[in-house]
Amino acid sequence: MKASSPIATSPIWPEAPADRPSGLTRSQHKSPGEPAAGRSVATERAGKARAPKRGQPDREPGLKRANFGRGAGLPTLLLLPQVLILLFFFFIPSLRALTQSVLLSDPFGTTVHFVWFDNFKTLFASGEYRQSLVTTAWFTVAQNVITLAIAVVLAFATDRVVRARSVYRTLILLPYAIAPAIAGILWAFLFNPVVGPLAHMLHALGISWDPNRNPNDALWLVIMAASWKHICYDYIFLVVGLLAVPVSLMEAAAVDGAGPIRRFFLIALPMLGPTIFFLAVMNFIYGFFETFAIIDAVTHGGPAGATNILVYKVFVDGFINLDLGSSAAQSVLLMTFALICTLLQFRYFDHKVNYGV
Amino acid sequence: MKKMAFIAALFGVLALAAPAQAARVEVQWWHAMSGVLGERLSELVEKFNTSQDKYTVVAVAKGNYDEVTNGVIAAYRAKRPPEMVQIAERGYMTMLLSGAVVPVQELLDQKGYKVDFSDFIKPVASFWSYKGRMSAMPFNSSTPIFWYNKDHFQKAGFDKPAATWQELETQLYAIKAKGVSECGTVLPGDFFWSLLENYSAINNQPYGTLANGFDGLGTEFVYNKTKVVSQVTRLKKWLDDGVMQIAGQGFSPEQLFTSGRCSTFVNSTASHGNIERNAKINWSATFLPHESDINPPLNSTIGGGAIWVMKGHTPERYDAVAAFLDFVAQAETQVWWHGVTGYVPATNKAYALARERGYYKDHPTREIAVLQLSRGTPNDNSRGFRFGNFVQTMLAQRSEVEAVFTGQKQPQQAMDDAVKRGNEILRQFEKLNAGKGTEWAPEAK
Repeated sequence: MKASSPIATSPIWPEAPADRPSGLTRSQHKSPGEPAAGRSVATERAGKARAPKRGQPDREPGLKRANFGRGAGLPTLLLLPQVLILLFFFFIPSLRALTQSVLLSDPFGTTVHFVWFDNFKTLFASGEYRQSLVTTAWFTVAQNVITLAIAVVLAFATDRVVRARSVYRTLILLPYAIAPAIAGILWAFLFNPVVGPLAHMLHALGISWDPNRNPNDALWLVIMAASWKHICYDYIFLVVGLLAVPVSLMEAAAVDGAGPIRRFFLIALPMLGPTIFFLAVMNFIYGFFETFAIIDAVTHGGPAGATNILVYKVFVDGFINLDLGSSAAQSVLLMTFALICTLLQFRYFDHKVNYGV
Repeated sequence: MKKMAFIAALFGVLALAAPAQAARVEVQWWHAMSGVLGERLSELVEKFNTSQDKYTVVAVAKGNYDEVTNGVIAAYRAKRPPEMVQIAERGYMTMLLSGAVVPVQELLDQKGYKVDFSDFIKPVASFWSYKGRMSAMPFNSSTPIFWYNKDHFQKAGFDKPAATWQELETQLYAIKAKGVSECGTVLPGDFFWSLLENYSAINNQPYGTLANGFDGLGTEFVYNKTKVVSQVTRLKKWLDDGVMQIAGQGFSPEQLFTSGRCSTFVNSTASHGNIERNAKINWSATFLPHESDINPPLNSTIGGGAIWVMKGHTPERYDAVAAFLDFVAQAETQVWWHGVTGYVPATNKAYALARERGYYKDHPTREIAVLQLSRGTPNDNSRGFRFGNFVQTMLAQRSEVEAVFTGQKQPQQAMDDAVKRGNEILRQFEKLNAGKGTEWAPEAK
């Protein structure tokens, strides 16, 4: 168990040591007399402390700052549940995953070898892992596009539904209440080539549908199931987003002779930018992490690894194969991919999104 | 104050009650049996608990085999393992070399129980013993047998399924051609176990070097050079010709057989309970087929689970464990378990007892598994399989076989790749476990 000491300085967290000193220096700069605790950095930077009773934004317009009056007690107390949840369900498990990813150990933990980055090297050398990467890319992108496209159409159509609008909304929201595993079994059964009614319909149309023997069919099946399960989530946000589109703008456009489709593309869609951007990020995270149960119920990652997305592979290698080192390394990589993906989205798309209303 | 007094009184009553309960030593047994099998297991434990007044076994269902394994690993790491746990056959090497278990035979010897392990049916005994000593108590042992729809065979003009794969193929094609059934057989969910591993044992084909792993951790898979390749080719051909169907997810292969859609089905003898209950057809079962140029066929191998004893408990608890394991090994218990579940009786004595009572006159298909397991003398190819990380190598192999079914790979190519992937996994297990297992052979044997 020589393992523990090198991990803290392992290059996986290059920014961690650099970040901490800077945080410390900042707090050291505070003038000793000031009751620093409880005041935000923004206040200190502004130099002059305004009357806190007002709660006026003192730096940027549009940014609000909560004010709890004196002391750090209440804010700390309010933060505590969230911090504890993060600690126990994110930081500690993440640290465990990081530690485990550089170890080769038997499941019971009686033999542990420190292997540096062997687990990662093995992964990148393995054809199955590369196949899983490609599959995941297809899966998440397709799922994202399909979910958003259908949700946008359904959300925009909400206004067009005159009678029984609440029934319409409820029907769309229903899949959200269904457990992913149940949703998976439902889709697997409907599209089962032997007994599934929808599969029989496809056969009748002359489509040779067989997700058990055709990798593409299998991938489409899980993409459709995963999208179906998530459309409702996107839909809620889009409906609310559409409510925020000023009616005056739409009416003005209508008066100018723009039809509904044109109004949608020229006014509603750009104004939905922030919502769609947010949903795209959430869809990626959903696709990366939460679709495991659907894969497990519909295909078990098959046939021949055709639907073996990264998160499912993490599960199989860790939970079934008991290869904890590889599974931990994969989950570290998966988290890194998700981070990179989110950061890229913010870097390249965020400034193209119009947040002003 | 009244409340305080009440609570104090309550504690007093509890304190008095505690010694009375502590007279029985309680031990836990985590298991993976669900449905009918789970009910039968509870009955078994109840039988033991009422048979004596010193020990109580508490059976805890912890989900499927994978979930039980993960549960016991987590519990062991947290230093709170159960006394006993049921682990599937594929986890044998992981448990054996875990350093977390107590050898069953040693425990029973130490506690003075005389269980005659030489009387266990050979493939059962050889699978669960290491260097001649029983490492876990065989509990639910099964083997695949060949189930068929009698009416379909009669309508097609056959008495029963043929004994060889070659003749069977002719029969299944005839059944389809004559329009008796559009599905000759269904691909079992665990085809790797029944149609590749047991196929190799029955047809005397080596699966890995070093006597299928029995002689050391340095074993390598060799099934890419055996009849397994032609077997995979055969399955692919049956699928392409529509003689065999895949049930797929969301649907169990067994249902395709019990509903009368598919004429035959290779599945564990342990599904007797289910099939007797669900089948609306005139069914029967027989031995697994063998290749026409292999005569006589060898024994098949077992699947199922055994009871492992975990380290880290007090001697009194091990008294309870030993008493329970002795109870499980008794012929009466074995016969009862065999009768209510379909699993094979683990000992020859229990089998003889079942025969003597005329059990097989009413249940002829229940004898097939025993006969198939105990025919001939097991050799290096049919004794069983002793590969580390056997679940992982199996999943890699299954994925490669699926690549044949999807048409992405030729059978030879796929089996070469499966062997290559499997050997890498075996090497990792060897690296991790080199030099272990010496504690299992204390004295020179």
